Amino acid sequence: MHLTLRRAAALLLGALYLPLVAATDSQPTHEFFLDNGLKVIVREDHRAPVVVSQLWYKVGSSYETPGQTGLSHALEHMMFKGSRKLGPGEASRILRELGAEENAFTSDDYTAYYQVLARDRLAVAFELEADRLASLKLPVEEFTREIEVIKEERRLRTDDKPNALAFERFKTVTYPASGYRNPTIGWMADLERMQADELRAWYEQWYAPNNATLVVVGDVTQDEVRSLAERYFGPIAKRPLPSAKAPLELDEPGERRLQLHVNTQLPSLLMAFNVPSLSTKADAHQIHALRLIAALLDGGYSARLPERLERGEELVTSASAWYNAYARGDSLFMLSAVPNVQKGRSLADVESRLWAELDLLKQHAPSREELERVRAQVIAGLVYERDSITQQATTIGQLETVGLSWRLMDDELAALEAVTPEDIQQAARTYFTPTRLSVAHVLPEESADE
Amino acid sequence: MNDSRTLRRSLPGLLLAACLALTGCDQDAPVPPPQAAPATTETRPAATGGDAPRLESLASLDEQPLARRKLDIQTWQTAEGAKVLFVEAHELPMFDLRLTFAAGSSQDAGTPGLALLTNAMLNEGVAGKDVTAIAQGFEGLGADFSNGSYRDMAVASLRSLSAADKRTAALELFSEVVGRPTFPEDSLQRIKNQLLAGFEFQKQNPGKLASLELFEQLYGAHPYAHSSEGTAESVPGISVQQLREFHARAYAAGNLVIALVGDLDRAQAEAVAAQVSAALPQGPALPATPAPEAPPAGKHHIEYPSNQTHLLLAQLGIPRGHPDYAALYLGNQILGGGGFGTRLMEEVREKRGLTYGIYSGFSPMRAAGPFMISMQTRAELTDGSLQLVQQLVRDYLAEGPTEAELERSKREIAGSFPLSTASNANIVGQLGSIGFYDLPLTYLEDFMGEIQTLTVEQVKAAMNKHLQSDGFVIVTAGPSVEQQPLPPPTERPVEQPSAVPEH
Repeated sequence: MHLTLRRAAALLLGALYLPLVAATDSQPTHEFFLDNGLKVIVREDHRAPVVVSQLWYKVGSSYETPGQTGLSHALEHMMFKGSRKLGPGEASRILRELGAEENAFTSDDYTAYYQVLARDRLAVAFELEADRLASLKLPVEEFTREIEVIKEERRLRTDDKPNALAFERFKTVTYPASGYRNPTIGWMADLERMQADELRAWYEQWYAPNNATLVVVGDVTQDEVRSLAERYFGPIAKRPLPSAKAPLELDEPGERRLQLHVNTQLPSLLMAFNVPSLSTKADAHQIHALRLIAALLDGGYSARLPERLERGEELVTSASAWYNAYARGDSLFMLSAVPNVQKGRSLADVESRLWAELDLLKQHAPSREELERVRAQVIAGLVYERDSITQQATTIGQLETVGLSWRLMDDELAALEAVTPEDIQQAARTYFTPTRLSVAHVLPEESADE
Repeated sequence: MNDSRTLRRSLPGLLLAACLALTGCDQDAPVPPPQAAPATTETRPAATGGDAPRLESLASLDEQPLARRKLDIQTWQTAEGAKVLFVEAHELPMFDLRLTFAAGSSQDAGTPGLALLTNAMLNEGVAGKDVTAIAQGFEGLGADFSNGSYRDMAVASLRSLSAADKRTAALELFSEVVGRPTFPEDSLQRIKNQLLAGFEFQKQNPGKLASLELFEQLYGAHPYAHSSEGTAESVPGISVQQLREFHARAYAAGNLVIALVGDLDRAQAEAVAAQVSAALPQGPALPATPAPEAPPAGKHHIEYPSNQTHLLLAQLGIPRGHPDYAALYLGNQILGGGGFGTRLMEEVREKRGLTYGIYSGFSPMRAAGPFMISMQTRAELTDGSLQLVQQLVRDYLAEGPTEAELERSKREIAGSFPLSTASNANIVGQLGSIGFYDLPLTYLEDFMGEIQTLTVEQVKAAMNKHLQSDGFVIVTAGPSVEQQPLPPPTERPVEQPSAVPEH
């Protein structure tokens, strides 16, 4: 095995940039603004005669205030309920009849709408999208029924899912200062008292061309997209926007511990450290070091958590680590695990073992082989990502909407190459401290304690 | 079982925190989105009359047939008898290889979980390499290995860069993993433990519990009745010897279809297929799955302390390759296939707000797969919702679709065709299905062509031939609470249709 590894490493070092050059050369990407402030990004992909169009708004649940949680998501639902040219649901019916895929999604930092369709039909997607940006109707009777659908969604996705419910509670503890604590779907009490005119106000505040990014990826040219965008989105007037403040957190809020009893058979552990994101930290090395740490811990079946905790010691039946570097505000570095109860392992065992892994990162630099594996995956991933036009568009839209540049996706390898083993140790020492930590022990309802 | 969360996924991985409009806010929701938005009531024919479209973009759509990515499917057999389907795609320096064995849980032969455990154990050990060394081997090359086991099939896949050094090394390891796994005892114990933990997690998922019960009721003594994962009773007793025997029979080259798409020429593709095929046990295809017998209609309830009740209604549908499939597919698209704009979604969600989503569909398999309708609603509206759904099905079977519904669905299916082969991942999936279910190479075109010729009467006849409005096996999972009447439906003012032009 070591032979294979060394050979792979040697090959990578010798030809590090080759696949990348090949990959990016054929992927022209253009950006421009319309006069009304709408930013447009076009990435050409001529493999198949299809196109994806995504419109991203800079608004989401982290913008919401107490008592009004769930507004962004509810507005997203109501965006399908009619505008000047369209009756309730009519846009969906038209798109369906064209064979398009469409959807929308809301998160803490953004709300986005998309259509995937045959390239000749891009104009229809633009016209529908522009119409609801310019002239949403928001009929009260439609809202009255749609809010019931949203409550069903909440019951399905959160209230009847013990782990989702636990995570929702946990987030309120991990984010003491910022709107990231808000559940995107909204608290049930807020859904119960939500009014159509609150949605109207939310729409008027945030749904302006100068608060949106249009991302188009597929078998199109810049000129085609520019002319269609000017025709359909161009006439929509620019509007003054409220100031949107980045969701900043306390650096070291102090250790927080939570014990939750939910309708589950198996206990689980959640750990989260308050850390910055690429948007809130001037020194990008530290951020990319945290990303590498997440990969070292959980970036594949050979990574440390699956190798050591899941297979080696059989301490957990599953464990994961993740970090979102691409947020508008401060972020979390998260760990979660389910103890191997068949082997009699407890939450306390798992928690102390995860700490041991974190301490190891502070004391010892990762091996060259480990880092090479991560690099190999990054290089290949840049090629694989391009097999999906939707994935490319989503990456672009996400980066732009949290205030970063789409160019980061093409600079991915260079950014990670620039991280030194010392950066990794430094990041671990800075961020993996009890003062930044929240812990939740999620337990079955009957059990009083583990 | 190979969960390769890699760094490269961290950008799109942000979507973990996203909340899809109709697909929800789950942190761990990998479910493919049904569609996002609701649709209007369809009381008028769409594309008729003198109303000028209100959308200028629609009016200017021309009537040319849509272009799509050309698929030149090449096919041959390996020396050992594996069928190969190959499409060259040189645009990206990568390839996708998917092996589909007729080695799903329908071959468990009295030991539920055997097929899945065999599949999950492939990458746990080969001569000279343990599970970690195998994982390091793939990941060090930037290659993705994945595997999965279902009722009909077991799958092992490789995605790799096509550069010769990467390709050769990745294929060498992949061939060992699929063809000569060692099934180490300690790995088997660990994976069994993980499966048992999974069974515990299932107990907090009423939707999953309902689905397990439904298949038991629908298939009775047929091998589709039990879940691919096996049970807490069956899994602990499965031995390494059983895995070896299952692998020797079910992972034989004669029981395999190889789908291959990517940056390879024909000679390279033949070499890839030959290498994989030669590494496998030699042997013929396993016997076909027997046809199931129709179960008695009936209602089964699982008491569960949730807010919502999950409702499943099913009866036996058709096997793959059935001549009625196009008519049934079209018929179901109108009833409840694919999200918004269907009769079920319109009546249950849009007019009454009873559910977040309701879907219906045929799942053709080697033997007759199910036709199933699924939804969830607040517990106190369970009975009313069930009656409503049954009435909607009864009406649809009695009346059939309208001409307008039929035309709209035909246009939809034609319009979505270019999307079905847009990516290498799409194509390798299509090739796998065509090969595994022994469909003609022209299957996609044939299917599209047949859809366009179907009449209202043909669709109605096919739906009535295969579905009986009183023939459903029904499973509910939720709390027993006092039932409330349904809220009255909203009748929207009829919107003038926007008139998508005829083709």
